[in-house]
Amino acid sequence: MKRRLLGAVSLALTAALTITGCGSSGGGGGTNGTTTLKLVAADYGTGPENTSQKYWQDIADAFHKQNPKITVKVQTINWNDFDDQVKTMVQNHNYPDITEGDYFPDFAQAKLLYPAKDVMSDSTFKNLIPVFANLGTYNGTQYGMPFTTSSRTMFYNKKLFTQAGIANPPQTWDDVKTDALKIKALGKVGFGLPLGKEEAQAETLLWMLGNGGGYQDNGKWTIDSSQNVETMQFLADLVKSGATEPNPGTKNRTDLWKQFASGDIGMINGQGALIPIIKSGGKLSDADWASVPIPGKTGPLDKTLGVCDNVSAFNGNGHQAQIKAFLDFAYQDTYQVAFDKEYDLLPATNSGVQALSSDPVFAPFLKALPNSVQYPNDPVWSTVKSQIQTSIGTIVSKDPKSVLSALQQTATKGS
Amino acid sequence: MPARKGTAARVTRTAAPLLWLGPAIALVGVVVIWPVVVLFRTSLQHFTPNGFLIGSAGMDNFRALFDEPDLRGILLRTVAWVVVVVAVTMLLSLALAQLFNQRFPGRRVARWALIAPWAASVVMTSLVFRWALDSNSGVVNVFLHDLGLVKFGSNEADWLGRPFSAFVWMMIVAVFVSLPFSTYALLAGLQTIPPELHEAARVDGASPWRSYRSITLPLLRPAFLVAALINVINVFNSFPIIWEMTGGGPGHETSTTTVFMYQLKQAYIGESAAMSVINFLLVIIVVLVFLKATRWKDQVN
Repeated sequence: MKRRLLGAVSLALTAALTITGCGSSGGGGGTNGTTTLKLVAADYGTGPENTSQKYWQDIADAFHKQNPKITVKVQTINWNDFDDQVKTMVQNHNYPDITEGDYFPDFAQAKLLYPAKDVMSDSTFKNLIPVFANLGTYNGTQYGMPFTTSSRTMFYNKKLFTQAGIANPPQTWDDVKTDALKIKALGKVGFGLPLGKEEAQAETLLWMLGNGGGYQDNGKWTIDSSQNVETMQFLADLVKSGATEPNPGTKNRTDLWKQFASGDIGMINGQGALIPIIKSGGKLSDADWASVPIPGKTGPLDKTLGVCDNVSAFNGNGHQAQIKAFLDFAYQDTYQVAFDKEYDLLPATNSGVQALSSDPVFAPFLKALPNSVQYPNDPVWSTVKSQIQTSIGTIVSKDPKSVLSALQQTATKGS
Repeated sequence: MPARKGTAARVTRTAAPLLWLGPAIALVGVVVIWPVVVLFRTSLQHFTPNGFLIGSAGMDNFRALFDEPDLRGILLRTVAWVVVVVAVTMLLSLALAQLFNQRFPGRRVARWALIAPWAASVVMTSLVFRWALDSNSGVVNVFLHDLGLVKFGSNEADWLGRPFSAFVWMMIVAVFVSLPFSTYALLAGLQTIPPELHEAARVDGASPWRSYRSITLPLLRPAFLVAALINVINVFNSFPIIWEMTGGGPGHETSTTTVFMYQLKQAYIGESAAMSVINFLLVIIVVLVFLKATRWKDQVN
């Protein structure tokens, strides 16, 4: 009787443990020398037909053919949820092997990543464009490996400009405001300002650069500097004057890009990835829009935000050799070029740049790459970034200075 | 039966119920009690944003939480959220249950249709509403635009961009998805009331309203209380509607405590756990107050 009782209790316990996931189950490593790599990538696509799942699956399949002992399991996550989900995976210590998308220096700080040199052969590593190397560096070692890059410009709708009687694209903030209000008079949105969760940190930085500001100066946080306060004050006034869409704090970049493509927005900051959206919208012909340097307070910016999205390799599952084999394979020119053609982004390798340098669409953006400004390279950045995404939209309803001060506090408090 | 058969038999007899209770107790312990213990423990620990434990935090997480300037607004909003959504749901459910309790052609189909909002995923329902409220092309705005009431792309058309109107719309969705459950609970209650009672009242000359107040409502009370209580807990913990429609934004201006907890989680795990603890205690307090106020024991037993 007693033994049966014990048996029943332990059976129930085992069942409960299995249900709650506490039971032990194997990780990626197989028993017969096969390995499964878990690749988690951001989805750059605009729909099922060009989802990045397909792009990576093609590479994974081709790779598997050459390396039958390594299977790559691909998972793509849309940009809105990418940070959240990757963070949750890591917080649960359920590590991916490779991520492609945003790079988080705090993972390097927590010693979760392989140094780039350990997971790439020398030739692949040396082929990465040097300007972006620093961004993936923590404490003098490079962990983030740029995979794709982009540089920003301002797009404007020529048709609306003509209708509103504006001869030239804006060069200064005042021009932006005047022109936007003229376009608003036509019943359209003057300036599309995405301060919602998706990528507010980019839009914010583009405006800060226009007034000589930025998030950091020589490695010191300067979020609530007087220039930045002035910049946000200007933005808040711009919104209140009606020159932008209402409530920019709740509007995401991709939605506004689609609205620009349908001809309802006069001006918007964008990058190459906006071009296919304009094309698929079918409302604007190539002659109806153009892109120019982003206006600053007193004149157009001579530098712009250059963003690179990075690959990071996690050491949690110990698949160093397999990751190395896969990355060498995935960084081949064919895949770099295929990615850029698919999403109108720019390559991250020297040979990739060369392969595209004569392309008429890519050439102007490629020129802007070498003198681009980048996001802070700091472990606190991922926390600050998500805080910016949540709160920067409230500069309209609250005092801009207090919003920036709260962000500065988050940044200097550390993690 | 022999008088004494030794202690072994007695132990067996005492242990026998354990055989049946044991698995249930173990299960409750592992899936109900244990997570709560971990929750409380987490709220007293210091975690890095990447989920590494770096020591005890004492009350620091709670202190940080109470220092959040937005917390007051979030708490008040949570109260408004629960009270309004549950009150409106229960009132509408009373009317709907009464309606569905009548005999009318197509009643069976109508009752089935009422299940739809329940069967559909809440995330999808919220998404459909979000699209319907799009300031340029949402069906709500197209309708209002055609009536000449709003302009596309204007601040008025941007229902989800303004915290107050966004919150009202989310409440509407929350009521919509809570209706089926409460209505069915009340309908079940209505069907246990013997028709003879109403007949007798009618014979005595009572008006329909009088017989509803004096017969239906008192007899419906147990069903009403159960439905309301479950709704209170459900609505308090409701996450997908708010997350899908506004993400709690702009800032935290449409967050309830449940959403705020999730927003905190990304960078401040300990503080987020502290918020969870507060949430947990709030639910328990709310339920106790509710039970006390409605003299639950007398009613349901």
